[in-house]
Amino acid sequence: MHAPLTHWLRLLWGKAPPLVFDSDCAYIAAGAIHLPAPTHLQHWQQQAAAAAHAATHLVYSPHRFDGTGLGPIARVLLALLEDARVEALAVRELPGLARLWRPLHTATPNSGVGFAGLAVRLARSLCDPAYDDPDPWVRKGRSLCFLDAELSMPAMCTPAELRVAATHLGHDIGQMRLQFNGKAALPLPAYRDDHRWMWAADALTDALSTALPPPPIASAQPDPNTPDEPTADEANVTHHPEWDRLIGRLRPDWCRVIESTAPDAPALAISDTEHDTARSLTGPLRDLMRRNARPGCGDSGEVFDLDALVNWQLGRRLHSPASNRVYRTPREMAARTALWLLIDQSASTAGAALHASTHSALALSLALRARGIRFGVAAFNSNGRHAVHWCTVKSYAQAPDAAMAARLHALRSMGSTRLGAVLRHATQRLVAQRGAQRWVLLLSDGSPYDIDMHDPSYLREDARRAVHSAARHGVRMGCLVFEPGGSAEAARIFGRSGAVRVHNLKDLPGALRRLMV
Amino acid sequence: MSPVLQDRHDPLAAHRVLREPYYQPSGDELEMFEAAHARRLPLVLKGPTGCGKTRFVEHMAWRLKRPLVTVACHEELSAGDLVGRWLLDSEGTRWQDGPLTQAVRHGGLCYLDELIEARADTLVVIHPLTDTRRQLPLAQRNELVHAHPDFQLVVSYNPSPTARELRASTRQRFCALEFSYPSSEREADIVAQESGLDIAQVAAIVAFGLRTRRLQGYGLDEGASTRMLVHAALLVVQGLPIARACRLAMVDVLSDDADVHAALRAALDAAF
Repeated sequence: MHAPLTHWLRLLWGKAPPLVFDSDCAYIAAGAIHLPAPTHLQHWQQQAAAAAHAATHLVYSPHRFDGTGLGPIARVLLALLEDARVEALAVRELPGLARLWRPLHTATPNSGVGFAGLAVRLARSLCDPAYDDPDPWVRKGRSLCFLDAELSMPAMCTPAELRVAATHLGHDIGQMRLQFNGKAALPLPAYRDDHRWMWAADALTDALSTALPPPPIASAQPDPNTPDEPTADEANVTHHPEWDRLIGRLRPDWCRVIESTAPDAPALAISDTEHDTARSLTGPLRDLMRRNARPGCGDSGEVFDLDALVNWQLGRRLHSPASNRVYRTPREMAARTALWLLIDQSASTAGAALHASTHSALALSLALRARGIRFGVAAFNSNGRHAVHWCTVKSYAQAPDAAMAARLHALRSMGSTRLGAVLRHATQRLVAQRGAQRWVLLLSDGSPYDIDMHDPSYLREDARRAVHSAARHGVRMGCLVFEPGGSAEAARIFGRSGAVRVHNLKDLPGALRRLMV
Repeated sequence: MSPVLQDRHDPLAAHRVLREPYYQPSGDELEMFEAAHARRLPLVLKGPTGCGKTRFVEHMAWRLKRPLVTVACHEELSAGDLVGRWLLDSEGTRWQDGPLTQAVRHGGLCYLDELIEARADTLVVIHPLTDTRRQLPLAQRNELVHAHPDFQLVVSYNPSPTARELRASTRQRFCALEFSYPSSEREADIVAQESGLDIAQVAAIVAFGLRTRRLQGYGLDEGASTRMLVHAALLVVQGLPIARACRLAMVDVLSDDADVHAALRAALDAAF
């Protein structure tokens, strides 16, 4: 409900005020729209009606109302008239909103002749041109507010004009000796906000005047830390957005990814086990390439395949059918594949998970090189959103050799996990590559968060968004999980087929086949 | 490849633009193009998808009375697809000029649409054509084709944060014209002209199209293009109600993301 509503408000008015589902009734505070928590009983229509009505205040209402000298009845009426005015303006621009709001007004002449009854009848009368209320006070209210029967031309534009009309109608209520308990709520349709923004306010210079302040909830703040590495060379820094599930939108340039190169370490021999594993991995990789490659010869291409050409000529001389697939296929699929291996080196991977990740990365590197696939290897950890560290262990140009093995084995677990930012960074690098196949393989304990956030679903949701976004750009992602119990968490991000548990190196070929082939 | 019948006196006759393609200028782009053409300088057109780049080139080809050879670039486009290749027939082998070679040899505008989608080796082919040499080497045929005096190269691409970038070695060979979506009034005129729909209904379609562009960077890579708006208007002319036409031409096309799609559907309901 959250994300579609946010997108919807942006489509309608170009604004996406923070939506917070935390209250019993709708209200506006500090530029955010607070709505009842959605339940399975609540339909889109109710939430959308409430969000749209509150948003119309943010778009069309004056920044403040002066309630000085107004009694409770006049205040209620002023709010009611303002509701009708902004809805009329919205409907003039977006006629379909009328279908959203009007069915939620159910007052009839039977709703009563007390102040509450007349007020809800007036509310409906000001919203629904087809509703014809017989009460003279209600009719008077409609004629005061609108210049036409279709309710498309509000008669009042300024707070002062609304105040005069509300005072006038309130005076009539006084003449009718109708009482109103200011503490009691009117039975207005539930989609309307409680107008606290109008009267909070004699000091209310905030919210509506400042278009979209940052979201107010403490738990929505991803982390309070200030940039902790201001000295990082900005040339190696890239900013990426992050999905904030609480406000239902991407926070632009939210995470700061700092690139560095893994320091050299004394060369380390590649073990026989890793060589053996690499050999067992070339099968799945070959299958992947073969599955995506064109057949050896085709009926179009740049260069003749000599054997096929000779066969074709022979066929002609012998007057027998000959295949016209005489062109060599343009390029190997492998040459058009690019891939990044990402190693999670956050604190939670300390021990077996990081150990297994580095050995697997080395074996995978040897196999990828054997198949002629372009790839890079990077490790990552984070310390808040301002310091997501991307440490390149092997660039595209480097070979997977003893020096790389040493750099891999020198990796130590540290920091936290900001997976979404890292996945976006890898995607950005792959999108810049020409290639028919672009892959990111994550080697991890399966957890997209550690200590960066209190809310576990925040970074999980962000990572999931990053995976979907990558898919839209033609980058496929998969996760090899090296920690018991990590598969379920990884599957929430990468999908069931995108996360595979690896118990030991012998599992790697099967896991790779399941992920990629 | 099917053989193309060619007029011996005008091998690019099939590529001539005989009727004026409708194009409404948004600035001084006609004058700029004509200046670049006068000097045969290669030109790159940058702008979002469906904003009128291709139509502009067609219009200029008509205006300058030059044949227009268009190639839509893609990842599988090879150098051979552009310059030509040897073919086999009953008599043996026969050289077939590619579209670029045709334009170079006989003097036409060659328009490479979405150039950055092409492979790197394909891009290199155009380098000697885009400097003072104005030559096209055909290595497979051992021939060096000198460009016809009327030949001009025009390319286009859609720069976006996630798109690949042209290499500097290629980029700096071109002059550039930047395109964007026209103003809403001009866009309504264009859609009305292209579709024949009355301006009141066109204005509603354009207004909805503008709303979709608000989601650019927030779930959509790009909002509805002018081309999509024209499609919607054509569907209305065909008899569909305006909301259903917008759904068919825009809403259900723009995104597969469930949340974005639901929001677009709801915005459509609100707009009409």
